[in-house]
Amino acid sequence: MRAALTGLLLCALSCSRPAATAAPPGTVVIALESAPAALDPRFTTDANSALVADLVSDGLTAGDERGEPVPALAEWQHPSPLEWQFTLRANVRFHDGTPLTAADVAATYRSVLDPTMGSPKREAFAAIAAIEAPDPLTVVFRLREVSASFLESTSLGIMPAHLAADGPIAPAAVVGSGPFRVAEILDGGGVELAAWRDAPDGAPRLARVRFRVVPDGVVRALELANGSVHLVQNALDPDLLPWLAARPELELIISPGTTFQYLGLNLRDPRLADRRVRTALAAGIDRNAIVRHVLRDTATAATGLLPPAHWAYTGDVAQHPYDPARAAALLERAGLGRAASAAHRRFSYKTSTVELRRRIAEVFQHDLAGLGLGLDIRSYEWATFYDDIKRGNFELYALAWVGVRDPDIYFRMFHSTMQPPAGVNRGGYASPAMDRLVAAARATEDRAERRRLYAEVQRLAAEDLPIIPLWWAENVVVKSRTLRGFVPAPNGSLRSLATATFAAPAPSTAVSSARGPAPATTAWPPHSYFR
Amino acid sequence: MRGSYRLVVGGWLIAVLIVVALGADRLAPYDPGAQALSENLAPPGARHWLGQDALGRDILARVIHGARVSLAVGIITVLVSLAIGTTIGALAGFAGGWIDELAMRAVDVLLAFPGLLLAIALTSVLGPSLRNVVIALSLIGWTGYARLARGEIVRLRERELVEAARALGVPEHRILLRHLVPLLATPLLVQATFGMAAAIVAEASLSFLGLGAQPPTASWGAMLNDGRAFALVAPHLTIFPGLAIMVTVLGLNCLGDGLRDRLDVRAPSGI
Amino acid sequence: MLRLALGRLVLTLPTMLAAATLVFLMLHLVPGDPVDVMLGESTQAADRAALRRTLGLDRPLATQYGAFLLGLVRGDLGRSLVQGTAVAELVAARFPATAELTIAALAVALALAFPLGLAAAARPGTWLDRGSIGLALLGVSVPSFWLGPMLILLLSIHWRWLPVSGRGTWAHLVLPACTLGFGMAAILTRMTRASVLECLGEDYVRTARAKGVGRLAILTRHALRNALGPVVTILGLQFGALLAGTVITETIFAWPGIGRLLIDAINQRDYPVVQGCVLVIAACFVIANALADVVNAWLDPRSGAAAARSNG
Repeated sequence: MRAALTGLLLCALSCSRPAATAAPPGTVVIALESAPAALDPRFTTDANSALVADLVSDGLTAGDERGEPVPALAEWQHPSPLEWQFTLRANVRFHDGTPLTAADVAATYRSVLDPTMGSPKREAFAAIAAIEAPDPLTVVFRLREVSASFLESTSLGIMPAHLAADGPIAPAAVVGSGPFRVAEILDGGGVELAAWRDAPDGAPRLARVRFRVVPDGVVRALELANGSVHLVQNALDPDLLPWLAARPELELIISPGTTFQYLGLNLRDPRLADRRVRTALAAGIDRNAIVRHVLRDTATAATGLLPPAHWAYTGDVAQHPYDPARAAALLERAGLGRAASAAHRRFSYKTSTVELRRRIAEVFQHDLAGLGLGLDIRSYEWATFYDDIKRGNFELYALAWVGVRDPDIYFRMFHSTMQPPAGVNRGGYASPAMDRLVAAARATEDRAERRRLYAEVQRLAAEDLPIIPLWWAENVVVKSRTLRGFVPAPNGSLRSLATATFAAPAPSTAVSSARGPAPATTAWPPHSYFR
Repeated sequence: MRGSYRLVVGGWLIAVLIVVALGADRLAPYDPGAQALSENLAPPGARHWLGQDALGRDILARVIHGARVSLAVGIITVLVSLAIGTTIGALAGFAGGWIDELAMRAVDVLLAFPGLLLAIALTSVLGPSLRNVVIALSLIGWTGYARLARGEIVRLRERELVEAARALGVPEHRILLRHLVPLLATPLLVQATFGMAAAIVAEASLSFLGLGAQPPTASWGAMLNDGRAFALVAPHLTIFPGLAIMVTVLGLNCLGDGLRDRLDVRAPSGI
Repeated sequence: MLRLALGRLVLTLPTMLAAATLVFLMLHLVPGDPVDVMLGESTQAADRAALRRTLGLDRPLATQYGAFLLGLVRGDLGRSLVQGTAVAELVAARFPATAELTIAALAVALALAFPLGLAAAARPGTWLDRGSIGLALLGVSVPSFWLGPMLILLLSIHWRWLPVSGRGTWAHLVLPACTLGFGMAAILTRMTRASVLECLGEDYVRTARAKGVGRLAILTRHALRNALGPVVTILGLQFGALLAGTVITETIFAWPGIGRLLIDAINQRDYPVVQGCVLVIAACFVIANALADVVNAWLDPRSGAAAARSNG
């Protein structure tokens, strides 16, 4: 009886749902924790912005699953150490219908190089001396000096020349040549993308991709369970994963990622300028326990920024396993022992308002309390928190680098001249030895030599601890089984949505068959469906 | 006897709360801050009667220590508000004239805001902490006592007792302190009981919004906030701190109702 | 009647002015530098100066106050530090959601309180009466931030009857409205019962009963009408609690209203938005009280003049 009543009520509720909240068929709905701040590829610095912008704009090159550059809009030649020549694909069109030519590429790069534009990516192209466009399909970059990671940085999204002249382009007005175009900016900061029928590799089969901002973790999980959201990536509480994985209509995919979580320190603070204090913090935090029990093994304790799969990785560095006795001794020597005043032993720690981040902060607080250190946890809404970090307004904070690929990031992270706004040396680290190493590593194209130099960088970073490595997070995706053909990428890119399809909701008995590739007959809508 | 039933129930509940808060260190089976990450989200069981939270902390210990936070905030807020409110109200009622006018206009302005809203705004400016919660709640809470005290004083001022004292040449401040203020005690006591319930709920609300107690302090409101993320997999994180708030507020409301009926005070109801 | 209403609304102006002044001063009365509290310890001097300039804190207090009041008169609540849009626009965009929730909660409260209160008063001392008193006591003791998650656990997660959160259909409105309205229902039930009981003791009711007027007719025609006065007053006063309650309810249910905007603004340290939300909610409260007085005067013309004076 009750079941019948429930069914009746459920039916009434689902029938009353207006079109505005229900996604039309062919729309994949993705829930994000926070709104993407920018879609202009020259200004995307946070992970969610990069995620969405990546579907809208194409670069000259892209990274494959190992992070190696592969052709995207262009093939390249490297006739001499200071010259890079790109040959564009023919017949590529922007979302506004105009053809993509060498002039657009040159205009995009020139605008990034323009100091008045204020693009945070400018430094990556500092080596460019001149950009030439001898014909509509050829772009030549002439460099001032050898730049080993130049090719990696050419994944920058290309925009039409007539837009590139302007400052940051508002999200709704961003035009690219990627598989999806910006269709609509939603209430609450979400974005809806529509398939681009003239995409270089053919129109996507999904009609639309809707990014919804759902700040609450429980709600993200419930929306997945309800089927009103089809995909959530790296935004679910690990403790909810077993609950989600137990639902037959959902699929949990855990794959290697390139996200590096670290503890940031402000080295302008005299206490944190002392390496012994930084080492004590590293040894005073039980990373493994957090990875195991709080993150439920969706991460691995990190030795440094580069993940083990990276070509320049070395694991042969100083590690700081959990050792409270060592940490206490170090603090004692640095004058932060229990004899020091309570105010001197207090640090402020900034984090975002995401529940998991706050919980991890409480574990740090607990671990450090054991060493006599106090931790004031301040949590702010994501944009505010990130803004503080970018401005160097912090003592301690935890943040992640997402999609680490180009080891030249070490230059921007650790070189003494790279303090914001020039680079991302947010803690104000300055070490002549590190400066020499990161500068030398970007000035040679010899792989073996670079590997050697970056190994030195990693060793020095592990010694000096300008940031404290926490863990490498895996890519955790929970998706509806009706969404087929989506393959998580190590860097978190959603590019495989360009070839993904929707299948009619499978009855629970057919679950096992959903794992195989979708048969062509069930895949819809066909290409002609669009426009 | 009117109200005695509620008086007894409320009195017992609050007595238990006070004992729990005072004896928290002895009563709590574990350290409320001690984490056991490997046992996180464990359901209620033999070793941990109310289960463990997301960091493996004992929920019973945290609920017990949360009583201390709630009671401390409630008592301090009420005492500070009572002191400020009674002083201002009694002075205003006794002095009359522009002092009365000024004090009552100030009360009116504060009453133009929903109380919790003003507390939220104040803690957002002062910064989130338990101390600032007490400051904000006291800055708002005094108005009720001031109104009550002033009303009573105005009513009593014209009584024969005061007239007689005046005729005998007793100084004014003495009349106020010796004769009038003691008469205020009963209605103020009833009001304070309801005020404490309100303060406890307000603290829990602010902590729930992240504007009150900061980690690792165990506050019922903060525990509820933390537990919300686990409503799907571990509802015990939400159920027990909520029950604690409910029982406490219920106890105070019963006590207030009972006191009011027993003492036959025409005090405004907490409800 | 209209004149009375207008007069009562005019009387709220001084209160509103004073309330606005208090909101304005809040930032200035804080001990220490408000910019320090907002930005934290390790801020660079340039960032402090920039925020001080944006908030206008570098100008003399009187100038700031003048500009603030002038802006208010023009409906200008300043600009959001984060979005850069006008605060008035942000608040206006969220207002319908909060209004919808508040009105729905009010409806829930009234729909529960009147029948319960009347029934209790009609049979004083019975189990029905005791039950309604108990329920009312429970109602004021259950904090909304616990009731909300409990309702979600039961109705959305366990039985899957209603959506968990968000705004969209009427189904989305049910849980937030019940959560918000429950506390008020308890208070109103008590109030209705008390004032109906009081009316039933009056002479004219006894006369009517002696004349043989039916019990139900007495209850609905005489007692309820006369009991409405105090209930409406309480309604006005409790409206404030309802408005403040939206902050919590909107947080629990991700309801895109002013309360949620306020909490987000606090987490973003967007002070102009905080200020704007507080002002608008306070203004609603003051107007609601004034309206309650007007309704009271209409219900009972004798009390009109008195009501217009109190609570000014």
